[in-house]
Amino acid sequence: MSPTAGTVRVLGADPAALSGRDRHRLLARVGTVHQSLELVGRLRVVHDVNAGRLASWSAARAAWSLVRPQGLPEVLAALARVGLADRVFERTERLSGGQRQRVAIARLLVQQPDLVLADEPASALDPVLADRALALLGEPARTRGGALVAALHDAGLVRRHCDRVVGLAGGRVVLDAPVTALSAADLAELYGAAT
Amino acid sequence: MTLELDRQVRPAAPPLRRDRRRWAWGLGAAGVLAWSLAGAGLFSGDVFNPGGTAQFGRFAAAALDPAVDAAFLGVLARSALVTVAHAAAGTALALALGAAGAVLVSRTTWGRRRAGWLAARGVLAVPRGLHEAVWGLLLVNVLGLDPWVAVLAIGLPYGAVTAKVFADLVDEAPRGAYRALRAAGAGRTSAALYGLLPPAAGGLLSYAFYRLECAVRSAVVLGMVGAGGLGYELALSFASLRWEQVWSAVYALSLLCLAAEVAGRGVRRRLAAPPSSGRRDRVLAAAVAGTVVLLAWACWYLALSPASLVSDRTVTQLAHVLRAAWPPATDGGLLRAVAASAVDTVQVSVIAIAVALLGAVLLAGPAARPAGRSSPGRRGAGALLRGGLLLLRAVPAPVWALVLLFLLLPGVLPGALALGVHTLGVLGRLAAETTEELDSRPRAALAALGARPAAAWLYAVLPRAAGPVLAHALYRWEVAVRDTVLIGLLGAGGLGALLASELATFDWAAVTTVLVAVVVLTWAVDVVSDRARAALR
Repeated sequence: MSPTAGTVRVLGADPAALSGRDRHRLLARVGTVHQSLELVGRLRVVHDVNAGRLASWSAARAAWSLVRPQGLPEVLAALARVGLADRVFERTERLSGGQRQRVAIARLLVQQPDLVLADEPASALDPVLADRALALLGEPARTRGGALVAALHDAGLVRRHCDRVVGLAGGRVVLDAPVTALSAADLAELYGAAT
Repeated sequence: MTLELDRQVRPAAPPLRRDRRRWAWGLGAAGVLAWSLAGAGLFSGDVFNPGGTAQFGRFAAAALDPAVDAAFLGVLARSALVTVAHAAAGTALALALGAAGAVLVSRTTWGRRRAGWLAARGVLAVPRGLHEAVWGLLLVNVLGLDPWVAVLAIGLPYGAVTAKVFADLVDEAPRGAYRALRAAGAGRTSAALYGLLPPAAGGLLSYAFYRLECAVRSAVVLGMVGAGGLGYELALSFASLRWEQVWSAVYALSLLCLAAEVAGRGVRRRLAAPPSSGRRDRVLAAAVAGTVVLLAWACWYLALSPASLVSDRTVTQLAHVLRAAWPPATDGGLLRAVAASAVDTVQVSVIAIAVALLGAVLLAGPAARPAGRSSPGRRGAGALLRGGLLLLRAVPAPVWALVLLFLLLPGVLPGALALGVHTLGVLGRLAAETTEELDSRPRAALAALGARPAAAWLYAVLPRAAGPVLAHALYRWEVAVRDTVLIGLLGAGGLGALLASELATFDWAAVTTVLVAVVVLTWAVDVVSDRARAALR
């Protein structure tokens, strides 16, 4: 993706200017939870989680892992934290939508990125799981000095898990404030502007 | 929050349950492949033909210098017309037989009488199990050198396949309208005409064009076993070592097969996506009208006369052959030869499918049209590769076998490789199309998190494309067995070679035995491949 104007700097580097090994390193530091998850249903859960580490694996190791799963302890630890350790060898397509969303989060956990981009990461989860998912996604921000950028629609989740709110309406920034300063009037104005 | 608690809990992994059935099939396939390669002499003895390289050099040099003198080009043009006429008349016969046969083998006809339906299907398996060329060799002994030989050789086996496919198409059409008509008191026939045929018509027409396309390839092959036309010219030039003429014939028949394939695909694509305006598609109408004219021309050009089918000579000859052919020969020597040839045939077909599958997996990525933007170099390479695959499948396998016989010693390997590259043309296109149709987002997501292209392909493309491609490879295996018999007829060993030698000595009882072996082998391969496909699902 190239910007229509100006330049993009990710973690202090311009991704368009990098190539080869440096580019792979930069990409590996950015973890994404897509709205449609982009998991491969035919694979077992363990492989879909391991896919988060492909940047650091050689092609040979990646191929061998499909036969004998590599790095199982890390995968199990990540799955345990999203509550799916018992489904590790299930085919991903047999899981429900919410479970798949948690697999995508587990994939992010084994990737250990510095920057996490999440597009509606809690949309298919019940409130308790949604809180847990956001806590897990925010972990790199808390423990490694990284950041979580999440697109959310639920103001409650925003208040509990985020530091800063940027409101977008019609492609423009209409609100940019610390969460502590967020008032009900701000929210009403934001949603009013969006509709 | 249970977050902190979770961190201390490290559950043991549940046991990794592998699908036993799939592993058994996988190991079995690997074992059969190793056995076939050993049988081909790959692990022992010489496979290359050092004496042939000089001859091959002269042969290859002639590729750039084909014979273009007016006399030979005239011969080629006339024989191309003969080949097209054989294909057209054979297809017409096949479609007529198929339409009549479809009524006999459709579920709609038999209703709940399952035994009758199974028996009707079983009868069709016999003509289907024999290659067109085998039919050609059998018919030439009954009819003599008559244009009917090629027409019947194409029409009978194609008719059987067409009957099965037509019946399936009609059976699979939505039945609501048919049931409503029956409930309103319409008879079976009129209800089928109004309720079943219209929804199935597109599929039927599309398949008819596909058969015409295949018939062109079959007509070339029939020429190679002596029925006249382009294949015959090729075989003649080859036998007299005139490499320039061989190449002209190869180019001519490649062009013919390519034209048939491109035209056939074009028509079928139009049928699959009809224009939304609701008006008649002019190109399609022209194609149908042109084909009907072509059929009429073919019958006139070949001077087909029904009288020769029922002449006294034909009847006496047929009676003589049938009497000599029953009962089949069962002496020990022949049965041992049949068993050994059957083993060769299976080995050739297994190696061919393995070669084709390996090639298809390797080429699927580069041959697929890339989803997003791509460099001109990448697009050019892809187009070149697709053109190459088209050429591989357009040229019949026996032609490839003739070329390979320069480089390799006669035996299992040249036939297997020839069949392999021909099948690669089919499987490669299929694998590329499967890759194109996959959702490209999971692969893009893996690329975005820094995965190398090979790793992203392994995790996002392979798991989803493997199933359909493997299933089709298994399906092609049955076709490969039939083609192996054909290559054998031209001298590459296996059941085909045995059949050719028994035919040459007019040992009809032995011919029956070999034919039974061919049909049983085709049927067995069909059953095994069906089971394997079920395990894949």
